[in-house]
Amino acid sequence: MSNRPIEDALLAQAGATVQKMAEMPVGVPGYTLHEERRKMPVTEPPVWPINKDLQYVGHTAPRYDGPEKASGRARYTSDVQLPGMLYAKFVNATVPHAKVLSVDTSAAEKYPGVRGVHVVQHVLGPAELRDPALDQGRYPVVRFAGQPIAAVAAITPAAAEEAAALVKVRYEKLAFVVDLDKAREPGAPPVFPGPADAEGSAGGGGGPTDVHQTGNIHGPSIHRVNDTAQGFKDADVVVEGHYVTQVQTHSALETHGVVADWKPGMLTVWASTQGTASVREELAGFFDLPMSQVRVITEFMGGGFGAKFGAGNPGVVAAALSKTTGAPVRLMLDRQEEHLSVGNRPSSDQNLRIGAKKDGTLTAIHLVSYGTAGCGTGAGCAGPATNLYQYASLHTEENDVFINAGPASAMRAPGHPQGDFALEQTIDELAVKLNMEPIDLRDRIDNHPVRRVERQIVRESALWKSRNPVAGADKGPVKRGVGLAQSVWYRFVRMNSSAEVRVHRDGSLEVLSAVQDIGSGIKTVLAQILAEQFGVPPSQIAVKVGDTNYPVGPDSGGSVTTLSLTPAVRDAAWQAAQKFLAEVAPALGTSPQDLVLADGEVRSRSGKMQPIGFRRAAAKMTTSQISAQARRVPDYDPSKYLTYGGVDVAEVEVDTELGRVHVRRVLSVHDCGRPMNPEQTISQINGGIIQGISYTLFEDRLLDPNYGLMVNPDLDLYKIAGAREIPQIDVRLVEAYIGQSSTDASGIGEAAGVVSIGAAVGNAVYNAVGVRVRRTPMTPAVVLAALRQGGTLA
Amino acid sequence: MNRFVLADCTTVDAALSQLKDGAVVKAGGVDLLDRMKDGIEEPPKLVNIRNVAELRGIRETPQGLTLGPLATLAEISEHPSIRAHYQILSDACGHAATPHIRNMATVGGNLLQRVQCWYYRSAEFTCIRKGKDLCFAFDGLNQYHAIMEYDGCPSVAPSSAAVALLGLGASVDLTSAKRGKRTVGIREFYVVPDANPTKFTVIEPDELLTAIVIPRPAPGTRSAYQKYGEKESFDWAIADAGVVLEMDGNICRRAVITMGAASPVVRRAAQAEAALAGKPITEETARAAGRLSIEGAQPLSKNAYKLDLFPVAVYRTVLFAAGLRDRDPSAAG
Amino acid sequence: MPGSALPPSSQDSPAETARPGISRRGFLKGAGITAASTALIEGVQSLRAETGTAAPPGVTELGPGPVPVHLHVNHAEHILNIEPRTTLAEALRIELGLTGSKIVCDRGVCSGCTVWLDKMPVNSCMTLAVDAVGHHVTTIEGLAPEGGVHPVQAAFVRHDAMQCGFCTPGMVMSCAALLEHNPHPTEHDVRQAVSGNLCRCGTYPKVFSATLDAAGERRA
Repeated sequence: MSNRPIEDALLAQAGATVQKMAEMPVGVPGYTLHEERRKMPVTEPPVWPINKDLQYVGHTAPRYDGPEKASGRARYTSDVQLPGMLYAKFVNATVPHAKVLSVDTSAAEKYPGVRGVHVVQHVLGPAELRDPALDQGRYPVVRFAGQPIAAVAAITPAAAEEAAALVKVRYEKLAFVVDLDKAREPGAPPVFPGPADAEGSAGGGGGPTDVHQTGNIHGPSIHRVNDTAQGFKDADVVVEGHYVTQVQTHSALETHGVVADWKPGMLTVWASTQGTASVREELAGFFDLPMSQVRVITEFMGGGFGAKFGAGNPGVVAAALSKTTGAPVRLMLDRQEEHLSVGNRPSSDQNLRIGAKKDGTLTAIHLVSYGTAGCGTGAGCAGPATNLYQYASLHTEENDVFINAGPASAMRAPGHPQGDFALEQTIDELAVKLNMEPIDLRDRIDNHPVRRVERQIVRESALWKSRNPVAGADKGPVKRGVGLAQSVWYRFVRMNSSAEVRVHRDGSLEVLSAVQDIGSGIKTVLAQILAEQFGVPPSQIAVKVGDTNYPVGPDSGGSVTTLSLTPAVRDAAWQAAQKFLAEVAPALGTSPQDLVLADGEVRSRSGKMQPIGFRRAAAKMTTSQISAQARRVPDYDPSKYLTYGGVDVAEVEVDTELGRVHVRRVLSVHDCGRPMNPEQTISQINGGIIQGISYTLFEDRLLDPNYGLMVNPDLDLYKIAGAREIPQIDVRLVEAYIGQSSTDASGIGEAAGVVSIGAAVGNAVYNAVGVRVRRTPMTPAVVLAALRQGGTLA
Repeated sequence: MNRFVLADCTTVDAALSQLKDGAVVKAGGVDLLDRMKDGIEEPPKLVNIRNVAELRGIRETPQGLTLGPLATLAEISEHPSIRAHYQILSDACGHAATPHIRNMATVGGNLLQRVQCWYYRSAEFTCIRKGKDLCFAFDGLNQYHAIMEYDGCPSVAPSSAAVALLGLGASVDLTSAKRGKRTVGIREFYVVPDANPTKFTVIEPDELLTAIVIPRPAPGTRSAYQKYGEKESFDWAIADAGVVLEMDGNICRRAVITMGAASPVVRRAAQAEAALAGKPITEETARAAGRLSIEGAQPLSKNAYKLDLFPVAVYRTVLFAAGLRDRDPSAAG
Repeated sequence: MPGSALPPSSQDSPAETARPGISRRGFLKGAGITAASTALIEGVQSLRAETGTAAPPGVTELGPGPVPVHLHVNHAEHILNIEPRTTLAEALRIELGLTGSKIVCDRGVCSGCTVWLDKMPVNSCMTLAVDAVGHHVTTIEGLAPEGGVHPVQAAFVRHDAMQCGFCTPGMVMSCAALLEHNPHPTEHDVRQAVSGNLCRCGTYPKVFSATLDAAGERRA
């Protein structure tokens, strides 16, 4: 409290305490568009109209780095080659649970070409014991097969690999457990000798740290709203189901890894990361370096999906090896390591019970979930049950179950595909029981204004109209079905979002931010914002991102990047533009207030001067560069519009003789605030749909029950949807203005399809065959078993 | 991958002279490099036959067809005459692996590829096929494993080309420097694991597969192959069927039905074949053949679902071969 | 594409390919003997002299240590000193700095490392570099003429057929190869052509539309 006056002074300096009021567009054009009054700092730029009245923002601009990516010129971390660079290779545990008695690196050290060997002293990722003293021994206890133990750096990748094979690790094997159900039994081998917790990353994930732990069961974490006992008493109908989902690995195409170059006074790290800032922070902390002496660069990165935050074991070990060898070190994981050691989506085992009135009103939701995040936490999946619908009472119990497997990490909408799979199928089942249309029921229990519009779009779609309301009506072995499900995600704003905009005397414009482009296309969006502000095409803007030398940017996880960063960029651009006009106005013989920037020109409102090209006007600058920096201003009204989402419709064909499910068409109706670049947004939604289908039908991390090793740590038996599994996807973007920032952008990465498509497929399968499949992946084995149980297969 | 000497050969004789002291033949190299990268094989020398011109090519003869073992899966699947007269073979080669692999992988290599059992393919599991006395699949994860005719090892036959070639009654020529050439039928080419678990085929270390000989099908023969996976884009078969029908009008004179993903080596489903012989091909006879294709099956703990799949794979492929049904759009490859 | 799958050596005269004793031809044949390749052959012979291996006729023994290997990549000749176990992907990425081809699965199942051998798409991670000798290797960097853009690349940008971009070079090489062999592809053909190309971001729908668009443009 004593610092309050200083903070206030700083805020005042930033213009944050002097407020103004403005009318902002809110709602969905064509449906609910209206104006709402918002209070905002006086330094905020004028309110933008809706997209149709903007020139560049809200319209598709070609991906900024498209030509680099299509030509192979884009340089990813795994492509970085530095003079004298060494290649590092991990030595990993080959058993799932053991004390490490000794690590003999002598033979590796002597191997030709080896320059350094590092023995891991602290493993990042797994849950940490509340009482660290419970883990005794010189080396970290092995809690999963694939846990890094040491690493070797050598002059060639082959030498590193060969030397790594020479490191001798002696284990004292401990009893292990890799099965969720067995791990829950009393007397199961304990993964940890006492309570242990794992915190989430910038992408979410992690679990609560204040819960009980009994054996391997970390939980429950209980959340209650009113009394569900009363709620079920008040119910006219009750539906319940047991749902099981598997562990999925992120399987980003570029594995985790870094190139670390430790020089006196500066550690430079190229990292395949979703957060340059998070890598810098972790390395500075680990090595006790000032932040100013750590630089992290991410020019391009080959996918993360939530697993790539912080330096992690590869980052820390590569930096340590670079320090000791005096040479740059590249440490990229191989595919097997990527599956085993750097995260996954936890499994779930959910018992969900819902009570409702005859009119559909929900009287009670009761969810008990168990799931495993390996030797980490983060298997909670109550988000959809808690946040999607209105209800009279709610009771959720989430439990993490430790097993001897690699720790989970955030994965695209953590917990939500699992929770939605159960919730939205149960809601569908409720609709059947109440003899209501699925959309009518949702209209009754969901008052979110945008999803209501989205359901209306679905209701009017040809795909939905083609749905036969009678389940299992098709004759013949291949049956068609249509189903829908809704998604929900949350508006998280990261205040660590800033940018600098520069105007050069030659008329060139650039924007700088440490933010990384993980494939969502933030570079393009930044160019569009400058284009809008300066009235020049986006192709004339230089975008410099992915380097901690630039103003700090947000970590890209939890759908935060666009909504957090773009207002700061717009503010910086607007301020730079004002400075620019003030700078050139005297030379143009008018006042800055008289000038506007449009269509590549500087124009006079009053007609005092003839329009002049932007470049020619810039030449009149008295200094060679004008710049402005801005940081994120808080949302104008943080009490409003906290969630967003969408409605997905799937059309499936179920081959009831083979138990195969094929998704033929998908209609995906989603909102993300102001869509900044529709084509890029559609790309992300396509991605969410496809990842979700892959998860629902194919992917499964398989651990051998007797030895605790993953049997499919590859990309053929770990099965990911390919070209022939891709449905025709029709994306309808819903412009949904919420009046929260100078760009009014929102996010899409999480809500896009991945949350709801699994449940939509489940509901479509039910519509096709009249049997509910409550387990993923829906392989032929699973579907045939469900059909047999449902009595539709002899 | 271990270091090795590469003996690049330009003639069969030159290659044969190199087949000693643990040297291993490399053609397309797809499966061999896979095993070497997985660390389950470390040969000191690779005998590269990729540049042996006499092992290339597809030749039509009055007696039938001779495939050089270096003919790639892509070449075979796209060969007009094979498409016309040996559809089962073009189907099988055209739906194996991925398009790019089919450009590199040779038919000889496809026949000689090792089983895909994940325990066999992992260096961490020293299984019976690698000279130890354990099988990890019986008590472990066996959802993709055999449902019949296994003894010590329930891995499944991985080669789709073999399923087709068995259907066509093909044989292979095996040549050694010392003993000259011998000819072995496709079924006899493969070794059931209980006899000598570390052997997969009868080929000896000093022998080279020098030709694949396919007899000309009888007039009126129709054939087809289909495989089913969990996915459609590149997946290993969870069920597959090769069907060769010698037709006399609408009566099936003789049928050959072959399967790969059911057992450790490719098999003919004799009872299913008998169910079609002398009968017209109809929905009913095809279904009957399908049912009989799994006679005697004993599924493992996690693969009983294959008992549902094979009858359907056989039935649909019989109708496809007979021209009574299109290629199944949900077939893999 | 019957026939095109055969390497150019199949067009060598039978007399030459079958003649015993010219061991270097089998391995080192390239686009004619240039000064550089002559030097290469001498290098191999001297290497053999040093190691003392006397290979019989028709056999060239290489390795296990580094040997000079002559590669024709993107219209340029290169001599690399690499071990026989070096894959083409490693040779391109590490030795030549052509990092457009990506190593993703390293087992031939994702096609992120796709290059052309004589216009035939293959997985460079499962091809030994020495097996590319005598073939024209085209990588993503050499797909378009110097400074130009291939129609498939342009269409990928137009259609936003990429997100993180890591699979993109492999996708482009697969789709461009399809158009070389089939100027009139259907969407089904495109799906088949990239059925071995894995994308984790989910760019497939736009890969299909971009390739069909590029095909139309090429025909126009």
